[in-house]
Amino acid sequence: MLSPKIFKHSLAATVLLFLSVTFSLFAQNTATLSISGEVATPLELKIADLASFKQLSHKVKDRDGKEHEFSGVALIDILEKAGVTIGSKLRGENLAKYLLISAADGYEVLYSLAEIDPDFTDQVILLATTKDGQALANGEGPFRIIAPNEKKAARWIREVRSMKIGFAKN
Amino acid sequence: MKSVLKHKSAWLRASLVCAVLTLSGLIQSIQVKNVEPYDLQYPANFGSRFVIPADNPTTKDGVYLGRLLFYEKALSANNNISCESCHQQSLAFTDGKPFSIGTDGSLTSRSSMSLANLLWVRNFFWDGRSPSLEDQAKFPLTDPHEMGQPLSESAKKLSNNKLYPPLFAKAFGSSIITQDQILKALSQFERTLISAGSNYDRYLAGKYMPTAQQLRGLQLFENGPDPKNGIRGANCGHCHGGVKNFKELFHNNGLDSVAADRGREQFTGQRTDRARFRVPTLRNIMLTAPYMHDGRFATIEQVLDHYNEHIQQSPTLSAFLQNISNEPDGKYLALTKEEKSDLTAFLVMLTDSSFITNPAFSNPHPISNP
Repeated sequence: MLSPKIFKHSLAATVLLFLSVTFSLFAQNTATLSISGEVATPLELKIADLASFKQLSHKVKDRDGKEHEFSGVALIDILEKAGVTIGSKLRGENLAKYLLISAADGYEVLYSLAEIDPDFTDQVILLATTKDGQALANGEGPFRIIAPNEKKAARWIREVRSMKIGFAKN
Repeated sequence: MKSVLKHKSAWLRASLVCAVLTLSGLIQSIQVKNVEPYDLQYPANFGSRFVIPADNPTTKDGVYLGRLLFYEKALSANNNISCESCHQQSLAFTDGKPFSIGTDGSLTSRSSMSLANLLWVRNFFWDGRSPSLEDQAKFPLTDPHEMGQPLSESAKKLSNNKLYPPLFAKAFGSSIITQDQILKALSQFERTLISAGSNYDRYLAGKYMPTAQQLRGLQLFENGPDPKNGIRGANCGHCHGGVKNFKELFHNNGLDSVAADRGREQFTGQRTDRARFRVPTLRNIMLTAPYMHDGRFATIEQVLDHYNEHIQQSPTLSAFLQNISNEPDGKYLALTKEEKSDLTAFLVMLTDSSFITNPAFSNPHPISNP
């Protein structure tokens, strides 16, 4: 028979697990990603909104040294939807534009538009929402950037909350 | 004839009024144009990622006025506290208390923060709710648990004090004191509170040789633990690193499994922000006890013990505080007692004694009330 102490502990663990699962589902459903700045159409995207985009995935080694399959949508497709000057419009002064990505914890990384555009690079940067078939966990998701060709994962920014297109003004 | 004369004198009066107005306008614009800019000096490695609002340039007159206001008790409802009451220079602009006492004797809900290198801060308070110094200043000035006085009342009280109208005229070109100008002057002074004279700064500039213990502490501070490769670390630098010992981040650092204070969630409305708080600057950290948003830790040793062995799990606990250990597959950081002492020795290097004694930041009032 289970001792009352063990029973109590497993009960507490079950409750905690239940809470964190519901918490995580709740967070997934409400979290939004905003795209603003030098765009034709500012966007506020929820996870569900990404279903209408072409889905793709990358198998890459993460910080834990293990290979994982990340799935989501191409970052460039999001920029296209927002009407960012990419493709044939990425020339002249538009080459001085950048994408500043901010995470929920305040961490920020920057890409120049040319680093994302398939006319300039073969790397397809992914806005990932799942890892090995599971929704990204708290602290990592619901949105994360995966740049498969980058040797250092410092720009694989987690918990992406906003993206801002700007002009370098100096 | 009479009516023509009357007409003429009316014209004369009107043009006289016009002339006076134009002249005073001219004088005013000359005054504003003649203000001397305040030169904000900082080491090149601090970088220039800051924005000073275009409508509030930092000027010598503005900074001096802001300094007077920082130490002005008339800005509190009962004329008994100033900004200094909770932000004392000798304690790197903190007050040494878990919570601060407001004008009515009540306590604040969070611990007073150090005011060092605010020039580089972009989101103020423990929860980052305020986007500028100008915006930030109105909270402590008006919060009933802090200085508790409407800004309109503060403007009135300052207008009735002989000292201030001419100083506002010098700083802002008009002796009519506005609420906005009070906030602007305080912000100008706060931008000047630059701390760049610690032994750590001198070490980075190649002008200070740390002790062996400090160097061991520095290594632990910077390194993430990697037991498989024999690297010991405390990973502090991940969130507190960089030349300013500050990164603008917000994390749940595992103080409680169920948080009493929802932290950044209160501001963003996002549940994933529960119990997330500013990662504070470690500049002058040995002077700014007690620690954490609620001042629960009286000593730096307690802080190190917390990160070493007392991290509490919760759904929003920072990913950077999970599963990092100096033992293979360990759950806790597992630093030794000696390693914690080494870290403390390093943290002493972050104390900037020139900052806490800089006469430019001290109380400028000729008679300071006890």
